[in-house]
Amino acid sequence: MPEESLDTVIHAPARLRIVATLATLGPGDEIAFPRLRALLDMTAGNLSTHLRKLEDAGYVAVTKTHEGRTPVTYLKLTDSGRAAFRAYQAALADLLKGAGT
Amino acid sequence: MSTDHGTPSDSRGVESRDDGAELDAAARLRLIDEQQRRARSGLDPDSRLLYGAWGVAWLAGYLAMWFTSRDGSDPAAWAGWTLAGLIVAAMVLTMVHSIGRSRGTRGVSSRTGAMYGWGWFLGFVTMWAVLNGMIRAGLTDGAVIAVAANGIACLIVGLMYLGGGMVFQDTGLYVLGVWMLLTAAVATLVGLPGTNLVMALMGGGGFLVAGAVTAVVVHPRRQAGAHA
Repeated sequence: MPEESLDTVIHAPARLRIVATLATLGPGDEIAFPRLRALLDMTAGNLSTHLRKLEDAGYVAVTKTHEGRTPVTYLKLTDSGRAAFRAYQAALADLLKGAGT
Repeated sequence: MSTDHGTPSDSRGVESRDDGAELDAAARLRLIDEQQRRARSGLDPDSRLLYGAWGVAWLAGYLAMWFTSRDGSDPAAWAGWTLAGLIVAAMVLTMVHSIGRSRGTRGVSSRTGAMYGWGWFLGFVTMWAVLNGMIRAGLTDGAVIAVAANGIACLIVGLMYLGGGMVFQDTGLYVLGVWMLLTAAVATLVGLPGTNLVMALMGGGGFLVAGAVTAVVVHPRRQAGAHA
């Protein structure tokens, strides 16, 4: 399998780490932006940039809400984001198998 | 912790591939593994810690109760306070730890966790009411109250773990629940002062074994993630 077949949205290591982290949550779960940022150890600006791209691709759903007076942003992987991550992992496994033979 | 994969270079566009082109498939799979491991250890409660805390609390607390009452007398006041203090400490640790790990998340899992947590609270509040009712109905024998209190408490623990095992699909937790029900039965049937020794060894010991099994078998497997 050629490397070009890999999903370019997930391919950037920063976005791969973001998607991998969101994939550890259950399908019905969301995580607040600061918590996600801490798990990834990324800067807020950097994380926002990558999340926007993932959102544009339909892989991440963003919910902006208020808790008391504080605005909170929740992130979750969409069904298609979860499917894309699974396909990406399978493609990597195939590449690895191809390299081994 | 210095893995700065978020290079600004890939802010140029989705199709920009130069930022990660040097990573091969194996390195990418490792990257996924490492990040998911880190996410899980940040989000999931550490069962080893919680089992350990409850194991120590039951073992030390009930051993103190048994030690000061093994000749058939009432347990010493200090033993009662030790047990109560250790239980409260384990409870506070469990709540602070679990709430801390689920901080900043919402949805099905945190709702399930909250319902499970409230289940414990409701169970023990009801136990307090039941014991109170029994005392009002004329139960005055301290030994009977003690045996009933330990038996009911251990029954609640066992049933809650059965429920947890079902909800979280955690076989280990379910097995611990069965063990706690067995502990409740044996502790009650043995009677004082043996009740306290059974609670210490079977109950506290059960927690510690569960913690050890989690540390040695379950934890490394769970950390390794879903895809082998």
